[in-house]
Amino acid sequence: MKPAAFDYSAPESIAEALDLLAEHGSGAKVLAGGQSLVPMLNFRLARPAHLIDVNGVDSLSYISANGTLRIGSMTRLTALGESGDVAGAHPIIPKAVAHIGHRAIRNRGTIGGSLAHNDPAAELPAVLMALDAEVTARSADGERVVGMQDLIEDRLFETTLGDTELLTEIRIPAAAASSTSGFQEFARRHGDFALAGVAAVITTDGSTITQAALGAFGGTHATRLPTAEAALLGAETGDAAFAAAGAGAAADFPATSDVHGTAEYRSHLINVLTVRALKEAAGNSGGGNG
Amino acid sequence: MTTTQETRWIGVSAPRREDAPLIRGRGRYIADIEPAGTVHMAILRSPYAHARINGIDTAAAEALDGVHCVLTAADLEGIGDFPTIWRLPGQKESNTPALAPGKARYVGEPVAAVVADSRYMAEDALDLLDVDYEILDHVVDVEAALADGAPVINEDLGDNTIIEYTFPGINALGVAGDIEGAFEEADEIVSGRFKVGRYSGVALETRGLVADWDDLRQTLTLHSGSQVASLLRTELAAALGIPETSVRILTPNIGGAFGNQWDRYPEDILVSLASMKLGRPVKWIEDRREALQATVHGREQLQEWQLAASSDGTVLGLKGRVLSDQGAHLHSVGIGPAWVTGAAAVNQYKIANYHCDVVGVATNKTPNSTFRGFGGPEAMFGIERMMDKTARRLGIDPAELRRRNMIQADEFPYFSPGGAVYDSGNYPAALAKALEAVEYDKVREEQQSLRDQGVYRGIGIASYIHVSGFGPSAILGILDYYTGGYEGSTVKIDPHGRATLYTGMIPMGQGTETTLAQVAADHLEIDIANVRVVWGDTDQTPYTGFGSAGSRSNVAAVAVIKAIEQIKAKAVRIGAGLLEADPDDVAYADGRISVKGAEEMRSLTLADVAQQAYWAHKIPEGDQPTLEATYVYDPANFTTACGTHVAVVDVDIDTGKIDWVKYVVVDDAGTIINPLLVEGQIHGALSNGLGGAMLEEFVYDEETGQLLSSTLMDYLVPSFTDLPDFEIHHLVTPSPHTEGGFKGMGEAGCFPAAPALANAVADALSHLGVEVDQTPVTPSRLWSLIDQAGG
Repeated sequence: MKPAAFDYSAPESIAEALDLLAEHGSGAKVLAGGQSLVPMLNFRLARPAHLIDVNGVDSLSYISANGTLRIGSMTRLTALGESGDVAGAHPIIPKAVAHIGHRAIRNRGTIGGSLAHNDPAAELPAVLMALDAEVTARSADGERVVGMQDLIEDRLFETTLGDTELLTEIRIPAAAASSTSGFQEFARRHGDFALAGVAAVITTDGSTITQAALGAFGGTHATRLPTAEAALLGAETGDAAFAAAGAGAAADFPATSDVHGTAEYRSHLINVLTVRALKEAAGNSGGGNG
Repeated sequence: MTTTQETRWIGVSAPRREDAPLIRGRGRYIADIEPAGTVHMAILRSPYAHARINGIDTAAAEALDGVHCVLTAADLEGIGDFPTIWRLPGQKESNTPALAPGKARYVGEPVAAVVADSRYMAEDALDLLDVDYEILDHVVDVEAALADGAPVINEDLGDNTIIEYTFPGINALGVAGDIEGAFEEADEIVSGRFKVGRYSGVALETRGLVADWDDLRQTLTLHSGSQVASLLRTELAAALGIPETSVRILTPNIGGAFGNQWDRYPEDILVSLASMKLGRPVKWIEDRREALQATVHGREQLQEWQLAASSDGTVLGLKGRVLSDQGAHLHSVGIGPAWVTGAAAVNQYKIANYHCDVVGVATNKTPNSTFRGFGGPEAMFGIERMMDKTARRLGIDPAELRRRNMIQADEFPYFSPGGAVYDSGNYPAALAKALEAVEYDKVREEQQSLRDQGVYRGIGIASYIHVSGFGPSAILGILDYYTGGYEGSTVKIDPHGRATLYTGMIPMGQGTETTLAQVAADHLEIDIANVRVVWGDTDQTPYTGFGSAGSRSNVAAVAVIKAIEQIKAKAVRIGAGLLEADPDDVAYADGRISVKGAEEMRSLTLADVAQQAYWAHKIPEGDQPTLEATYVYDPANFTTACGTHVAVVDVDIDTGKIDWVKYVVVDDAGTIINPLLVEGQIHGALSNGLGGAMLEEFVYDEETGQLLSSTLMDYLVPSFTDLPDFEIHHLVTPSPHTEGGFKGMGEAGCFPAAPALANAVADALSHLGVEVDQTPVTPSRLWSLIDQAGG
């Protein structure tokens, strides 16, 4: 399990990184935290001719909270999970980050790396979808802003980023004042990739649900759950609406079978987890298995 | 008199002397060994479950810069393979070849090897090997492999049935029971069909080897993590066609072996052969994917049992058929583990009528061979699930049903119809202690009220026996097991009175160095700091017939005791001369040699006598100078460790998740040498057992024959957060068969783990009638059972 030979560059600025991307294009891979790319290199599943290591680009690592939350793509998951600004703006993020691998993995792994790798069982793409986040993609030719949905577009292990683009920033709009969130995932061991998981953000005007955004992961790709969201919109918070949303989630979820569980089981799980996440969001999670 | 703490060491929780260097980064593992000039091997492994190899074009690989040699099956002419040690009558032999000869039979089977300046280059060269594979139909399921028209894995053997071995249920009088009569007489016949999952040791340190051939001296030094270096030396020399005197096996620290390292492997031959060809050191470190594909797997069986019971709960008879999925080749122990399953399945119960057919079946999978527990945990799964099913059917509490059928403490030695003689134990007492510790009646009471609140709590009992201390060599001969069951020990007292102990045992995590030092210090009655243990070098250490295993310290310890008895007797003879006393009036005690009754006045230290033994100025007639002894101990009989575990779990019926409430262990391994290490071994073995009960599984894809669990993301090893707190209690019934009363205990923890868990889960879901008959009990599988039961 040793990688095939590759050339290696370690730019120290965004401009330098973009020039390298422009030069090497599809032959290049960007190395962020390396928690997914390095194993892929070792398995020779990824065989880039050129590795552009952006760990030395300090200007990609920041968290700025001022209305919209702006997070540099090289921000480590540990920093993301421990940031008071992030927790204050979107408490669902640290909750989700706690489920990503183990401490050592979070110390190296980055938010941008997770999004660009787009593992369908990863937490962050689904969470950021539910939060209506956008990312900035820069190339030597300029910058564009891409919504999470458009970044992922039902893909797995790839995104709509171009060969010469670098994901530089994640932008998360401020949450509505009355929004609450719930995060549930089921993995066989803590820290494993989830068999299924859901991030739920709902807003109510007291009792009626006025906004609902649900992002799911653990299927064939990260996705919003439109049927579940539709079942919630305009409904009174409570068991009936949540059960309907759970059933909707199961219908929406692109479940798949693998060694850890059948598609049928995962569809059932997303139903259970959706109900639990909504109860958590509604703040009426009461003991038991809730 | 000196204080007892200084000279009595058996039963003391001495800290592991192995730990300080290991914890502080001064361990030395295979990967740390790299003699000057070392080159690196990588192995091309079959990507197909079953494929004819019509040719291998090595030209491009050989032309790559930095490549030293490429080995294919064509280069192995004149090179042997490793024999199966356990050759049961009727077992069709199919030794594991070093490189697939003309046909690959499982995903991961070695097809070719490349040696290059670095592992990176060697793997680059693997990419350039062009193998002409002709893909054949494969089979990865035992029943499918036995069906008419199934692809035949080894054509030379005719079909995929390796052996059908029958246990006829011979009792102590030497006659078979009346199994048919038992079933005719029965009030109830209970059936069970169990799938025991395929998993293995998956050690933290993968396998590794450094072979170093010295062409001028004609010697081969092999650095290896083998648990059984002497046997590896014997077999490797034979396979390579060189004198055994030319081969030296050195064993550094081992990062886990778990029985998997008992076997001999193709790579042992490949690195040695490459080093002999190149005249320089060749190193191979197994990567994790290789470790999952190509280190032996364990356990996998399909069992069908029928139990005949009378309405009062008496088990009248047990009959079974065990299909053992052996994989593509017989490895070092043949179908041995499955044989042990058949031998052990009657467990702690007086089952007069027993019959079991064990069938070894070839499939296109990694060889299934030695793994901690060696057939015992599989047996326990079957019988302990059957006991719970029977209890449920008869409406008798599962603890009570066990109690009614257990062999009583005054019935030893007990001749089991499985063929083993159980030496000693107190099964009902262990059960009672476990029930008391878990507060069985209270938990049963709470169970109902919790269920009303939607909490599904279950209690699972599993009792076990572990026949350990594999021993008398004569019995191994009767079993067609072609090695001895003895352990040797050499003890040398230096001129200053300190002891050096040479053992063929290999410390692989079980604390052998510490426990043997304890035994030696205890019997010499000296401080443990004055005992050094030498292991891991076949040039220095005694030949071991059976090799190191988790349950061998009991045999090795007796060899130490016996050698020390000789040393003490000689010290008394020498000391008597120095003390000018009759040897009969002189005794060895507290590390001193003294005239009886005059210990204060006429007494010498061991060092005094040792110095004299080395000066040799006054050696008694008939004695030789120096003070050392060797003893090779062949056990008088097997020992039988036993106990009962009780698991308490809550099941989330919405997700199939299992939460731990409690886990109680009562074990009886006879005299305990080191309670601290025993506790650690139980923790380790239980984690291993529960891993296979809940998480660990090698899954093969029926369609493609691919091993799907080929990374540690797919093959899940338990960590602390997945395991319960273990509450451990001991009973001590010393073995009457061994000096010291020790029984093997390093494996026992994994014996009852899976049935305890499965029984607990089934008990939690008894209102749904759910039966848990397959391991691992994954959430997906469990939810599916719940869903089918309408839960």
